[in-house]
Amino acid sequence: MEVRADLLTAQRDAWDDLVRPGPCLSGEARRELALTALAALTSAEPLPPWVAPSTLADVLPHRSAAPTRAHDAVYRIAAHAGTLTIDWYNAITTEVGELAYVELVALTCTVAAVWSFRRSAGLDPWPLGDPVVGAPTGRVADQVVHPALNWVPVAAPADQRAAVVQAFTALPSEHTRTWRLADAQYIPDLEMVDPRWTRGPLSRPQMELVATRVAQLRQCFF
Amino acid sequence: MLSWSGQVEGDEVDLVALGRGEAGTSVPLAAELHAFAAAAVGHDEAELVQRRAALIAAAGGGRTGADAMVDAAAVVANFEMMTRLADGTGARFADEVTAERAALASALGASDLTSKR
Repeated sequence: MEVRADLLTAQRDAWDDLVRPGPCLSGEARRELALTALAALTSAEPLPPWVAPSTLADVLPHRSAAPTRAHDAVYRIAAHAGTLTIDWYNAITTEVGELAYVELVALTCTVAAVWSFRRSAGLDPWPLGDPVVGAPTGRVADQVVHPALNWVPVAAPADQRAAVVQAFTALPSEHTRTWRLADAQYIPDLEMVDPRWTRGPLSRPQMELVATRVAQLRQCFF
Repeated sequence: MLSWSGQVEGDEVDLVALGRGEAGTSVPLAAELHAFAAAAVGHDEAELVQRRAALIAAAGGGRTGADAMVDAAAVVANFEMMTRLADGTGARFADEVTAERAALASALGASDLTSKR
């Protein structure tokens, strides 16, 4: 099975980024949280949304560097994102902080994308590398504000772009990684205006049929 | 988006059928793509293997079929990512967009989802 180079490179770089220091979290913490995301994604019968995995023995044996509530949040986002509410968000961010929360959502998204692609295409899963030692980078957008279209803070000015596009802009590294992946996996952002755009093997309606089915099964309104 | 691009390409799209979990469209390979996407989201490995092979064969087999399957898997990956991005960050449409999409959401059976904000 051959994977086109742009897709392979975007996913490989994103995967490797999971063990490097991020804006708020160390490489060790990010690696731990990625393992938690994988535990949720690979479970045929994940814990129900109302059970925090940290309250059970053996579900998260690898945790030590990242806050316990961060693990709980990653697990729920990975397994049950369609059940999240503003009350849950407020409770989690009171403990882990809003920007760290943005980072853990972003890394969960990367894990879900790469793991899903390799499984769907019949390719071996990639192991996570060893964590890169170092303090969090602290790189945050110059001005961060609360938008109307997301729970999470975003880079100013808010609500000038779609909610999904602005969601990670408070943390430029997370935003860049996510949208580089999206461009390689789906229709590049700049091509969205062209209903006939195609990369070759599939037409745009064929790609959108797959997209619709996944969003429907994940019970995602957006 | 599917109804828009499908219309431009001359493909019929039945949103109510899509809402019922059927392929609901005359898009080429619709049945195979629809079944592959569902299997990729599920946990039945044997089903996924079968649906992957069926898609590759229907798309022409060989390198051509494999390339189509890889691109379909990439779309699955993207929406495993984007659904968590949207729901994890509390993304919602502006009020005017939500109003415009009301009929579409109803047809797709999405009006009562927890993730509607």
